[in-house]
Amino acid sequence: MSHEYVPEIATDREGNEYEVQGWQGDFYAGKLGFWLFMLTEVMMFGAMFLALAYYNTLHPQDFLDASASLNRVLGGTNTVILLISALTMGLGFLKMRTGDVKGAKLMIWATILLAIIFLVIKGFEWRAEYNHGIFLLHDQLLPESSLPFGQKLFFGLYFTMTGLHGVHIIIGIGLMLWLLQRINADKVTPEHHIFHLNIALYWDIVHLIWVFVFPYYYMIGAGGATGGH
Amino acid sequence: MDTKTINYQEERKVYYKVLVALLILTAITFIQPHLFMTGSTFLAQMLIAVVKAYLIVMYYMHLKGEKLIIPMVWFAMSLVTVFFIIVIGIDVANFQFGAESHITAAAEHSAGAVHTTPASTHH
Amino acid sequence: MSKTYFDETHCAIGHPKSTFMQWMLTVDHKRIGIMYAAVMFTFFFVAVFTALAMRIELFSPGGQIMDGDTFNQAFTLHGVIMIFLFIIPGIPAIFGNIVMPLMIGAKDVSFPRLNWATFWLYILGCIIALSSLFIGEGVADTGWTFYAPYSMNTDTNVIMALVAAFVLGFASILTGLNFLVTIHRLRAPGMTFFKMPLFVWGIYATAWIQLLATPVVGITLILAILEKYFGIGIFDPAKGGDPVLFQHLFWIYSHPAVYLMILPAFGIMSEIIPTFSRKEIFGYRTIALSSASIAGIGYLVWGHHLYTSGMSDTAKTVFSFLTFFVAIPTGVKFYDWIATMYQGKIVLSTPMIWALGTIITFAIGGITGITITMIGLDIHLQDTYYTVAHFHYAILGGVVFLMFAGMHYWFPLITGKLYNETQAKIAFYLQFVGFNLLWFPMFIAGYYGMPRRYFDYLPEFQIYHQISFFGAIIFITGLIYMFVVFYKGWTKGEASTPNPWNATTLEWHLPTSPPPLENHSKVPYVDFEPYEYKNGEPVVKFDYETMRRID
Repeated sequence: MSHEYVPEIATDREGNEYEVQGWQGDFYAGKLGFWLFMLTEVMMFGAMFLALAYYNTLHPQDFLDASASLNRVLGGTNTVILLISALTMGLGFLKMRTGDVKGAKLMIWATILLAIIFLVIKGFEWRAEYNHGIFLLHDQLLPESSLPFGQKLFFGLYFTMTGLHGVHIIIGIGLMLWLLQRINADKVTPEHHIFHLNIALYWDIVHLIWVFVFPYYYMIGAGGATGGH
Repeated sequence: MDTKTINYQEERKVYYKVLVALLILTAITFIQPHLFMTGSTFLAQMLIAVVKAYLIVMYYMHLKGEKLIIPMVWFAMSLVTVFFIIVIGIDVANFQFGAESHITAAAEHSAGAVHTTPASTHH
Repeated sequence: MSKTYFDETHCAIGHPKSTFMQWMLTVDHKRIGIMYAAVMFTFFFVAVFTALAMRIELFSPGGQIMDGDTFNQAFTLHGVIMIFLFIIPGIPAIFGNIVMPLMIGAKDVSFPRLNWATFWLYILGCIIALSSLFIGEGVADTGWTFYAPYSMNTDTNVIMALVAAFVLGFASILTGLNFLVTIHRLRAPGMTFFKMPLFVWGIYATAWIQLLATPVVGITLILAILEKYFGIGIFDPAKGGDPVLFQHLFWIYSHPAVYLMILPAFGIMSEIIPTFSRKEIFGYRTIALSSASIAGIGYLVWGHHLYTSGMSDTAKTVFSFLTFFVAIPTGVKFYDWIATMYQGKIVLSTPMIWALGTIITFAIGGITGITITMIGLDIHLQDTYYTVAHFHYAILGGVVFLMFAGMHYWFPLITGKLYNETQAKIAFYLQFVGFNLLWFPMFIAGYYGMPRRYFDYLPEFQIYHQISFFGAIIFITGLIYMFVVFYKGWTKGEASTPNPWNATTLEWHLPTSPPPLENHSKVPYVDFEPYEYKNGEPVVKFDYETMRRID
């Protein structure tokens, strides 16, 4: 930052002096603001889970059947990939704070790579489902098909929620590329890392959403089946 | 900020410890349907997810020790919980016209009912 | 003459020379607030004249100037503009921006650039909403609630309205986020939460609703779009989807949204009443905490919109019970205001008259709300003019009236000029009389069964519609006259002193009027209650050079 902010001083009647918090360079405000933003994500996905639970209550057996037919091997792989990417992101941020800018950049690239692998696997999964006749506006999910209501709703919400989660991943990749650009431009430094912190937090919330999406879609029906196909 | 006070080795160790815990929990997720609480897989899976979420929020997102933010997070989460209790626990669970409803009495309707639904858009 | 915020500004990008670009790129919270006001009142008048067109149509039975489909589009346009473009963002975006940082002694909001970006996001939402007028089949005809399944079937531009509402909602979230962080971080030293002016409390409670309820409607609108164009099935009965779920999700936001409108308005009331009674406010803590508890309970009452939609009886009973609860903190506020006036030295300036008028109109709006909280009565009155009249008494007679009160109250602060008191009072009386003539007959018409959203009616209802029509003419005359008075005040009015009302809160302790670019000359230390009066005079006095107390 070119011009350093000098905090103002307020004086009370006895002449005691108090430092005034300005909006400039307020690290904690940046963190608090981003946490508040993440609460909006919680509410958004909370509302979608509410819709999911609503139909689950109406059609419990259909939901178990539909869940059993998802591919748990690919879903599980993606879970582990996201898990590791959360680690690389966290380590990158740790390296940034301790002054290892080069290591931090490397870790961000690793996270981007893992995110792309996640999307590719997701793509294969969706393609396999399409080939089974299960996709939005396609074959089994049309109103005319004989698939039970509960299964139609399960898959409708499955594509919605994994799709919106995928959108979050894509946005995350964009944000990480922006972060790398900011690091290269020396705007994000070990002394001034609020932007890096917030993107690390964003990546964690993306991971967190998956922590709930994965068991609700892939695992609830696992008991009745012998495994994914 | 305060670069000097960070113990790099110490913090990195925490990251790896949490990673191992999360991996173990993920493994449990997979064997749970064949191992324990087989009667209520849903509940078991959600409990594991909550434990995982707790670890992520506390250690990866460094929520531990945040005096101001923790109550805010609690407030948002309890709000979602209340929505669940009201919509699922109070409304859907006590809905007294389920048997007469087109959408809940799915078994006999699902294939043939489409023509009788005025709201159907896809003709 | 020292420089004011009209003469210089900070910009988001670069330092443009032209005045126009300086306004477009400004990050100054006061300028952003003024720009919000300009845009919002433009839209407000569009919606007012849409409503007038509907009144003309309803002057007598049968079609007059439009057919049923156009009428559907007219009330949708009226609702969407009034709700999403005007009244939801209204008071927080205008007065929250202009006054709130001044009240807590801050130089600006916590994220000034985000504030600037939010304003342009709001403009983007407005453009999308308006463009639906000129594209394809025209404005949506679903009503502002976009209820499924009809909104999924109609050929009109529902998607534009949905996207616009989503973008505007996002702007609202970011405004709330910015204010929350500002209030937590930038209060002047010594100002604890219970030393904040009550308007700041109103904004704080509102910001929580903006932050936590808006995402729910945001995702609902996205789900509706996905349903309409990708057939995900969740609101489509042909695939087992339940349209009632849409109503649940919609009202989880949209009911707290009415508290989002009213809480900052109550905050304005709590500023005006002690100032013009020259007396400390009665029960400061109860007012502050009732704001918080209205916001809290407000999340849990959405179901009273669904009494006739198909909920379980248990849920109806629970919602009815919870809804009654909201009346308690609201009642506490009203008694506090009246107790504040008791034995005060009441000064009947224009802002005070607006506040007093609102006590009457909002009381009617609130008490008729209690009647339709009861399930049995609501089944009789749901979707009639009774509900319409209740809503307009509460929102127009409560929120908008208090917004006008705030405009009169802070006009000298914002412009540095005084308006003509006599003319402003005439404008108030015109609006107050017109308002009651316009809406009160609707209670009776609704009770006898006049349904809302119909462009035609039985002859027996004609008398009510005609009284309403004349009320509307008087109301709109007063409305236009009020803005003429403002305009004349701003261009030709006398210069105002920094504290024309003898008020106590920090926004009246500025060195000049209008305020300089960076607000207070120095940040004061706050070791006093917000409304301290003794013998009808403010207790706390500042030396405006050093901002140290000299009393």
